Amino acid sequence: MMLAIREIQRGKGRFATIVAALSLIVFLVLVLGALADGLFYGATGAVRSTSAAAYVFSGDAEGSLVRSRLDESDVAAVAAAPGVEQAGPVGVLLTGGAGPQGPVDLAVFGIEPGSAGTPTTLVEGRLPEAGEAGAAAADTRLRDDGVAVGSTIAVGGIPATIVGFVADSSYQLQPTLWTSVGTWREMRDAVRPELRGQPTAISAIAVVAPASTDLAQIAAAVTGATALSAEQTGLAIPGVEQQSSTLNSIIYTTLAVAGLVVALFFALLVLEKRELFAALKALGSSTGRLGRGVILQAAIASVLGVVLGALLARLFGLVIPPEVPTLFRTDTLVTIAIFTLVAGVVGALFSLRRIARIDPATAIGGAL
Amino acid sequence: MTDAMTPGPTSEDPVLAATGSVPNGPGEPPALDATHHASALLRVSDVRKVYGEGHTEVVAVADATMAVDQGEFVALLGPSGSGKTTLISIVGGLLSPSGGTVTLGGSDVTGLSKKDLTAFRAERVGFVFQSANLVPFLTARENLLYVASLVKGTSRAQAQARADGLLEELGLGARAKNLPEQLSGGERQRVAIGRALMNDPDLVLVDEPTAALDTAMGRQVVELLRREIKGRGKTGIMVTHDLRMVEYTDRVFEILDGHLTHVEEPSALRH
Ligand SMILES: Nc1ncnc2c1ncn2[C@@H]1O[C@H](COP(=O)(O)OP(=O)(O)OP(=O)(O)O)[C@@H](O)[C@H]1O
Ligand SMILES: [Mg+2]
Repeated sequence: MMLAIREIQRGKGRFATIVAALSLIVFLVLVLGALADGLFYGATGAVRSTSAAAYVFSGDAEGSLVRSRLDESDVAAVAAAPGVEQAGPVGVLLTGGAGPQGPVDLAVFGIEPGSAGTPTTLVEGRLPEAGEAGAAAADTRLRDDGVAVGSTIAVGGIPATIVGFVADSSYQLQPTLWTSVGTWREMRDAVRPELRGQPTAISAIAVVAPASTDLAQIAAAVTGATALSAEQTGLAIPGVEQQSSTLNSIIYTTLAVAGLVVALFFALLVLEKRELFAALKALGSSTGRLGRGVILQAAIASVLGVVLGALLARLFGLVIPPEVPTLFRTDTLVTIAIFTLVAGVVGALFSLRRIARIDPATAIGGAL
Repeated sequence: MTDAMTPGPTSEDPVLAATGSVPNGPGEPPALDATHHASALLRVSDVRKVYGEGHTEVVAVADATMAVDQGEFVALLGPSGSGKTTLISIVGGLLSPSGGTVTLGGSDVTGLSKKDLTAFRAERVGFVFQSANLVPFLTARENLLYVASLVKGTSRAQAQARADGLLEELGLGARAKNLPEQLSGGERQRVAIGRALMNDPDLVLVDEPTAALDTAMGRQVVELLRREIKGRGKTGIMVTHDLRMVEYTDRVFEILDGHLTHVEEPSALRH
């Protein structure tokens, strides 16, 4: 092991090359990962950060909260379905509103506070209480638009007073406003005149039920309805699944390239050290010992690459404009770090065969 | 080959002493037969090495039998391609022979597995290669410590003390922290000698140690090699082309077309 470490210490320039290559790859992967997470979390926050385990949609909605149309009377039917612990109405409206500093994009969620579908990520203030009209909890992203507890946001002229903030609750990348179904409906009528005259309409029904519950039985409670788990509801949001799978395949391809880069680098290094390795074998060093040294070097290069790449990515994160949805998550960093390390070590493993084939007899004499 | 045999460890050689060709340590008169020479440390019996098969077959060593005592430093002479390197590679456990046996201190080297041969080389053989072949990114001292680390159970402190002692003895005390690229050719070859002696081997095998050195430097290195090998009671075999180096050895073996013979007067080789 001393051999491997000393080689790095005394040949820093050469190792800097592989570390630099790996850090750039890790940087690229982490930025892509942050973008993938940013898109995913920004699109699906509102369905992940509530008490709902599943949602019931009208048959023609194809799992989209925005497209779904149900009636308040369906809530009782769903609540009576087997396994359902709680059912609550959900109204969704993608629109714009007037904030304290000007217009803001919004996704207004009408819910029955305390029932299924209530946000669970309150970070400041409180949620609207049951039966309270004209009050709303806002997504923390709206703080950037000057919104604070006590501010007013108006949608189509209908005002709502902000009573609290909830985190990680964007919907289709728009910040959310959580209010009562009544206030939601007033706002809807104001900005969508064509929907007026439907005083009991809601978008979907949020359901609290154990994970083992049969969703088909819940859907059967309402004629023609469908039911999806909260996770599936997130993936059914237009573009979410496609974006995740595209970005993930880019990420994993890039990580495979990292393995290839390490494999090539160490293959070259071993080729260059053939003579030395033959001499060391002649002196009584085993293939295993020499191989472990190379793998240790690959592991050190990968760890340094991950550390530097992660630092670069975080620095880059500071200068990314806020309109670009990025989210640097520790789980993603850990996953990518593990993959890079594995790719590096697997890459170096390819050199083992080459080391094993070096014949110690070639060390002596110099004439062979 | 029965006359190519080893002497006992007595100290008078009337023939060589008379010619003055072995100034540093007279060799012994050749014994009659290795098989009668029970005390030999190294015994090479009927060793044969054939490379390739069929019409590409090369007989590198046709017939080699020799016995070398502990404390002896012998030369192996022969023209290019005669099988010198092949023979000492077999003796040092780097190559397996096509036939015959090599025993060192009574144990059979030719029967060892690949793994045991690796340990055998680390523990019992010291090699000095034609070009020093030091690890370029280790200092002189670290090159010595590296081979110590190949032997299980060596204490670090002991290895360090031994490395420092060897370097001092080889006149490299002030060079211990230098990398090979900062050393002269002769100094590098001296580090290689230190490395060969580091694990206190029974056998030191040297293949043309002076090939890359000028005459004066070459003499210095071989003289040192002799002093270390004799002083420590090691057994040494040195392959050389250079007849001037023969005077530092006790006895001379010559190999011609793969046939090994003991010669009394190496000057017979001069052209
Ligand atoms: N790996 C090998 N494969 C085939 N033939 C070989 C191999 N190694 C050596 N030989 C042949 O065996 C013979 C003896 O080679 P060896 O290297 O032992 O000679 P040498 O006496 O050391 O020569 P030199 O003085 O040039 O170093 C030569 O004819 C050589 O071509
Ligand atoms: Mg040779």
